[in-house]
Amino acid sequence: MADVVTQMAATGGKSLRQRQNATHIGIFLTLILLWELGALMGWLDPLFFPAPSAILTSFWRIYFAQGNIWYHLYVSLGLVFAGFTAGSILGIGLGAVVGMNGLVRRFLQPYVIVLEATPRIAVAPLLIAALGFGATSKIAIIMLVCFFAPFINTLSGVINVDRDRMELMRSLGASKLQVLRKLVLPEAVPVIMAGERLALTSALSGVLVAEFIQRDQGIGTLILTYTRNLNMASAFACILTLTLIGFLIFKGMEKLDHHIAYWKNEAGLRRVGAKRAQAWATAQRGQSNA
Amino acid sequence: MHEPRDFLFWPARVLPHLALLVALLGLWEWAVASGSVDTIMVPRPSAIMAAIFELYVTKGSIYQHFFITLAEAVFGFLIGAGVAIALAVSSSLSENFERYVSPYAVVLNVTPGIALTPIIIAWFGYGMGSKIALAAVICFFPIFVNTLTGLRQTDPDREELFRSFGASRRQVFTQLRVPAALPLMFAGLKIGLTTALIGAVVAEFAQATAGVGVLMSRFSFALDMASSLATLLSMTLIGLLLFYTMEFLDDRVVFWRRDARMSAVSRARARAWASGAEK
Amino acid sequence: MNTMQSSAQAATAARRGIVIEGRDVGKSFGGGSVIALEGASFSVKAGSFVSLVGPSGCGKSTLLRLIAGLIDRTSGQLTVHGRDVKGPHSDVGMMFQRATLLEWRTAIENVLLPVELQRTVTAADRARATELLAMVGLKDFAFSFPSQLSGGMQQRVALARLLQTGADILLLDEPFGALDEFTRERLNIELMRIVGEVGATTLFVTHNILEAIFLADEVMVMTPRPGRLARMVHVPFARPRTPELTLTPEFNALVAEVRDILGTH
Repeated sequence: MADVVTQMAATGGKSLRQRQNATHIGIFLTLILLWELGALMGWLDPLFFPAPSAILTSFWRIYFAQGNIWYHLYVSLGLVFAGFTAGSILGIGLGAVVGMNGLVRRFLQPYVIVLEATPRIAVAPLLIAALGFGATSKIAIIMLVCFFAPFINTLSGVINVDRDRMELMRSLGASKLQVLRKLVLPEAVPVIMAGERLALTSALSGVLVAEFIQRDQGIGTLILTYTRNLNMASAFACILTLTLIGFLIFKGMEKLDHHIAYWKNEAGLRRVGAKRAQAWATAQRGQSNA
Repeated sequence: MHEPRDFLFWPARVLPHLALLVALLGLWEWAVASGSVDTIMVPRPSAIMAAIFELYVTKGSIYQHFFITLAEAVFGFLIGAGVAIALAVSSSLSENFERYVSPYAVVLNVTPGIALTPIIIAWFGYGMGSKIALAAVICFFPIFVNTLTGLRQTDPDREELFRSFGASRRQVFTQLRVPAALPLMFAGLKIGLTTALIGAVVAEFAQATAGVGVLMSRFSFALDMASSLATLLSMTLIGLLLFYTMEFLDDRVVFWRRDARMSAVSRARARAWASGAEK
Repeated sequence: MNTMQSSAQAATAARRGIVIEGRDVGKSFGGGSVIALEGASFSVKAGSFVSLVGPSGCGKSTLLRLIAGLIDRTSGQLTVHGRDVKGPHSDVGMMFQRATLLEWRTAIENVLLPVELQRTVTAADRARATELLAMVGLKDFAFSFPSQLSGGMQQRVALARLLQTGADILLLDEPFGALDEFTRERLNIELMRIVGEVGATTLFVTHNILEAIFLADEVMVMTPRPGRLARMVHVPFARPRTPELTLTPEFNALVAEVRDILGTH
């Protein structure tokens, strides 16, 4: 049945798709126009709801005319990268260790529950106070908000490893390290990747909160400053920038996920299958030549 | 992943945990006392205890802030969840609605909701309104997407079965789709509630006059780490309170996912049936 | 709809004792590009047990869904009780390979579902549900939830639910296909007893030739690509039947015959 439906969609679908896209664009333009009109007629307070045209102008200004957003973007994304990398390495590593060790897991469990219930971003002021203003405390905050999702996901991935496969590995005489490398981690990869996706999103939120509090530089500070100066159009332009970044992160992680957990998707299976067949053939030829 | 009741109500299992906690705190106290750790960065456990005692018992100044933040998170959650569920139900009932509305929901999802903090404060002011608004905005998406996914997952066999029984579209929705969606919806509500608390606290950091977030900032910037940590505890308590409330509701509503609850419901229904038969 | 005419048709069909009749029934998907079933002509007598046997893709499930009115045919004529099949109707009840029980309802609440979807449940309905659960051997499990029951027990509940509809035609799509051999054999024998008791006409889809013959009065042998009804094979053995029947030469001759029909296509 499913095949039939796909077939139908493939044959008769093109004009339908075009029509739907047209409707999408139509709805979007209508909304924007109404908004613009509302601003123009003074129904919306420009101080609070800037007109779309004003936002576009701000885009031009902060990206090209003044070009001031680049520096802040560079600062913020650099922090996100550093904090995310450190936090996820720590999370995955600790998750694997704790997952493999029943005793540690048992004693850690209450702390994990407490940590899970605490809004982790709430520690931000504390970390800033303890580590001082500057990049270090910001990275620490990002690390902290990033750490949890990979940790929990790795942990549950490791715990929920397939029992039959585990027994198979044991019956083949695999060592603990071999079990981890050849069975547990590969099997947990999709779950870990899901954790990494969450972590990267949290990292973006984390850097914003850190910059809201420290108010020195970065995209969060920029949004705060623009809003304080009631330059709402520019604040919106910054937020739309973050939407774009968020979207790129989302798509990028999806791509990465498909690439790493290749056995979970058809294209990945074909790609890796072809590659391995080729490698195998090359090795065979090398052997017969020798 | 964890069964919280196991360790809350089982003294035999709690004791080793307590022993470890006391040992760790002792080690910490000793490390700070011996001067190997900076007291400003890491306060002594005894100092934290004293701060907790002061904030929660002698002065009791935390409670006002505690309830403000709790109220902000809960109201924000209720608004966010209400809108999310309404939109998810509409989307699941109308293909067109879903097609033309869900792209905007996706845009909202990839935007870090936290980024809206300054703007929402500008819109809704320094009081509780802005905190509720931010909580509502950032808890919206997990609830929306989980509810929609739940409502959209269809089991062709069961749908056919309902059709062969002559069920109306409404019956298919209320008797089949909605109950089948409940487990996922509750998973979304749980995430959403935690997220709502984050929203309330972050908005308090940015600009507020009351709430545990404000208290936290004040103590931190006065470098009063012990009181900061004592305040953090109140956030954990709010978090736990919200989490277990949701867990309890989940347990009641989605009873067929848990063996113990299932047996209880099964007994209750048998009794109700028997008393119905008597009448 | 012309009531006079349809009741006349129904009367003629009833006189001949035929409840389901198909002439050149066909079903294709995607505007004719995929043919699921072609030119199926058959008739099913009231109270008989008919097996539909054949490999995957021979259109057995399609035929069942056509009779239930869950999908519309693309060609031919199909009547149930002499009435043209247009959309789902209450003369038939269906059962699937998966029990498709609602996991938030107890066994007896699942059995009552078909009634509840039509009207208010009465005390008589409740009594009937209890009776049916007893008939399928689950008297003590009325208030268990599906996930507390084994696969075989879940299918028993599904069978009771099917009987609760009051339909006199039962359409079973590999109902015990997902169960282990022992459970399946036992349930098959019970199924024969139960449908005998309620006097229902039964269409039973399977890909197991032995099972098909063992249960049925008639076997519809179907072949794939495109789905066709190859032949109707009459099964003459008396009832009640016991598993020993499958060891007799007559039975095995019939198995060979069906296998032959399937093999030559």
